[in-house]
Amino acid sequence: MGRGQRFGIALSAFVAFAVGVTTALSLLLGDNPALFGNQPGAEQLAELIAAPADALLRLATIVVALSIVIGIANLLYVHAGKLARGKFYSAVLLASFGFTVFWQVTRPGDTSLLEAAQLPIESALAALVALSLLHGGSRVLGKRADIWGLLFVAVVVVVLLASAPLAELAPLQAWRDWLMRVPVGAGARAILLGVALGAVVAGTRALLGQDRSVRG
Amino acid sequence: MAENTISLVSFVLTLMVFSYLFGDAPLIGGLYRIAVYIFIGMTAAFTLVVSYEGVILPYLQDIQDQSTSWTALGYRADITIMFTALLFALLLLLKPINRLTWLTNSVYAVVIVVGAAVGAVGALNGTLFPLLQATVALPDDLTADFEVLVESLLIFVGTMTGLYYFHYQARARADGNEEQSRVGRGFRHIGKAFLVTTLGAIYASALLTSLTILTERIGFLFQFGA
Repeated sequence: MGRGQRFGIALSAFVAFAVGVTTALSLLLGDNPALFGNQPGAEQLAELIAAPADALLRLATIVVALSIVIGIANLLYVHAGKLARGKFYSAVLLASFGFTVFWQVTRPGDTSLLEAAQLPIESALAALVALSLLHGGSRVLGKRADIWGLLFVAVVVVVLLASAPLAELAPLQAWRDWLMRVPVGAGARAILLGVALGAVVAGTRALLGQDRSVRG
Repeated sequence: MAENTISLVSFVLTLMVFSYLFGDAPLIGGLYRIAVYIFIGMTAAFTLVVSYEGVILPYLQDIQDQSTSWTALGYRADITIMFTALLFALLLLLKPINRLTWLTNSVYAVVIVVGAAVGAVGALNGTLFPLLQATVALPDDLTADFEVLVESLLIFVGTMTGLYYFHYQARARADGNEEQSRVGRGFRHIGKAFLVTTLGAIYASALLTSLTILTERIGFLFQFGA
């Protein structure tokens, strides 16, 4: 690695750090005139502090939109190469892409193609998930026949049976409601708090330039 | 597109996806893959159209109007943001050149840290503080409803032990092995019970949702066939 390249990497890490800290501070302190008391001009000051985050978020939004366009162009380029080598499925992909773009450009606002093709394929794929879930559930029973596996299956059975529209199973609904309100509510909170703590840690690592993606 | 055509196309595509269940049987083995490739092509096209019509085009139209501004920094800042974004997009195209990869990574770094800052601040303000407040909040009148008090305590214990489950701490023993404290192991077991219950409920909900979609699709196939 040359000296110029090392300098470039250090510069990019510094820029990323500056941008990240500016965004975080601007988001935390901006648009909150109460922080500056009843002083005259507090609102303008809060608005001014919020401006860098607003500008950087818009910049990131446009860059992400443009990178999506670049990503799709890359997808088409790769499949055009495969088509040249005689791959049939790439021809299908390119044809469906071209047809959809043509349809959307010539019939703006028309959602019939979405209803006719996109939604049925999505629904059918989501329906196939049921079979995968059933297969996975049966493997849990087969491979983990301990107390945790049994607890997992018991909860699944209670929730599924309570959802069945049968009068005989009505008492199970009260169990299901309690289960969802108390233990599941607590577990979901623990998971969400864990995810939030993870997001804060990962965000702080990126802001401090400790993340590999930021160091270049 | 006519209603009958929509139904016919939906019918054929649904059957093509369900052909997955027959595996690599002769003649119908490739139908599933064709449906998936159609899906990828269409998704890419819709994403392209939405990105252009929903983000790029409005921004391009906005910067032509000098009387409006995206931020408190004024119209000139809008122009600067737009041209910086275009420059960044051009830098992304340099990815295949090995010596200039650091430039592309710099653009990614800026986008990632902006996202990380939003994620960290959002997690603090939107999840951590409200959920912690809701977890430690007690009912207004503790003596009025004993059941509510017990439930609040259970939720508090479940949340704390559930969080503790993700934490691992052990003492080093003289023989070099590790040893967890009994209290810590007990907390972890209680937390695990809450987490397994939650995962079971999430699994059952996902199964119910996909079964509902499956019955709707099968119903549609029979209805169209009839």
